[in-house]
Amino acid sequence: MAEPMPPSPASTGESRRRFLAFLSRAFLSLWAVGGAGVVGAYLRAPERRERVAERLVRVGLLEDLRIGEARLVRHGTTPFYVVRLDGSRVVALAAVCTHVRCILGFDRERRALVCPCHDGRFDLAGNVLSGPPPKSLPTYAVSVRAGEVFVHL
Amino acid sequence: MSSPRGNPPPAAGGSRAGDADSADRPPPPVPASGHPAGRTGWVEWLEQRLNLTEIFSFLTHFGLVYAPIDRSRPVREVVRELATQPVPSYARGPRVLGLLAAILFGLEALTGVLLAYYYRPTPEAAFESTRTIVRDLPAGWFIHEMHAWGAYLLVAVVVLRLLRLFWDGLYRAPREVLWWSAVILAWLVLQLDFTGRLLTWDARSYWSTVRGMEVVWALPVVGPVLAFLLGGRVVNEDVLIRFYVLHLLVLPAFYLTFVYLTFSTLRRVGLSPPADSGPEGTVTFRHHLYSMLILSVLLFGVLVTLATLLPFGFAGPADPYSTPLGVRPPWYMLAPYALFQRLPLPAWVTGLLLLGAAVAVLLLPLWIRERGVLEPRRLRTAGVAALAVWAALSVVGMLIDRR
Repeated sequence: MAEPMPPSPASTGESRRRFLAFLSRAFLSLWAVGGAGVVGAYLRAPERRERVAERLVRVGLLEDLRIGEARLVRHGTTPFYVVRLDGSRVVALAAVCTHVRCILGFDRERRALVCPCHDGRFDLAGNVLSGPPPKSLPTYAVSVRAGEVFVHL
Repeated sequence: MSSPRGNPPPAAGGSRAGDADSADRPPPPVPASGHPAGRTGWVEWLEQRLNLTEIFSFLTHFGLVYAPIDRSRPVREVVRELATQPVPSYARGPRVLGLLAAILFGLEALTGVLLAYYYRPTPEAAFESTRTIVRDLPAGWFIHEMHAWGAYLLVAVVVLRLLRLFWDGLYRAPREVLWWSAVILAWLVLQLDFTGRLLTWDARSYWSTVRGMEVVWALPVVGPVLAFLLGGRVVNEDVLIRFYVLHLLVLPAFYLTFVYLTFSTLRRVGLSPPADSGPEGTVTFRHHLYSMLILSVLLFGVLVTLATLLPFGFAGPADPYSTPLGVRPPWYMLAPYALFQRLPLPAWVTGLLLLGAAVAVLLLPLWIRERGVLEPRRLRTAGVAALAVWAALSVVGMLIDRR
């Protein structure tokens, strides 16, 4: 609008009309953007992400865990295995395969986690032994306090 | 145009011609011209209060009538004229798969409503309520099996229809809209199947959905968007309720919209001429309707037979914390699944290839027209080859998980 207008009243009206049309379209688009934002925010699934308090999971008493045995902890969307290796060492590993998100099973003889879907195998440090999984398994820190096992997710 | 061959039947004037000469007719439908004057049935009674022809025209937009209807004429006249309208005699058997799709969709809607009366979409109650329907309610198993087998047949019919349209080149101008709606209808039916199979929440359906979601998730751009709409990557109660709403409300509404679009474009461009145009005759619309009726009775017979003799089993309630052995993605996802599992490429490249193929199928009318290099026969061969590759990949995908 800064440039000098042609004197003809008809074309002035024309450009004003165009400007107003642009303005109303812009405002309507703002409505659309706002509406899309509201709907999008509403549709966003309430992520069941653990809060800090839930990131520290109490698994149970250490003496209840038998050596060489794994316990599946059904914790929300991040289930994990707790395995007692010997008298004092306990490890925790994710129970969800890194490949297609199947839930792993525990093979007691070989001390490995085995995927029922594609036979991927992980050792108890989370490394891939065989099969298609692309990444190693996440492991979690374990602490034993007053005879109780806690896992830090 | 009511007929492909352009023969001028009495009603072929369409709505425009009708509008033109409606000026010299007594305006809206007052006591019908073609009737004995003394007759005033409920149709006439209603006709003075409603435009019945308009309603009839709207309803037949979801099936059956392939010619435009003159909405300014009384409904009796329109229907009588319709019955004698010529329809190409080839229009039966495999060439009217769209009709089978419509019947099956109606059946799915009916049985689906019946199932929904008892179904409860929560992880705790979903399996229990399904089991109640199937085991305890009188004829519940029958309704459930009809719904499940109907879904299978619907997928088959919609895919076959797509193949038939491809085979006869019915994506060329002016039938692009027909092709687009056919592709989108096929896609919607697959989505309906995918969202429906989770609802029983038994172990097999649950894990098959998990595996299917992985395929969806692996697609670049589209995957995260779909996962966002479906409520996340992990299949839990949020995903269940969304699948429920999509399955019951959103997808059927879209399906009906595209059926409407299909018939709208059919009424504009007419039924297709037969591929190898021989001197085939025409039959009347009434005759056409009877052959449709026979076809649907046969379809119903097949469905009842399948539902009774080959019921689907249940594999116990789903446990999100234990994966059973030997669960596969839904069968129509086996081919992309095999590609993702076996192709030595990064997942996003594979996903991009798959998306490209999907878009190419959708936009077939455009690139066929622009390139124009492939003659129909070579194009058919290419299509058959693509189908064979797809089938082979599906077999590979089926064998991946065999233990």
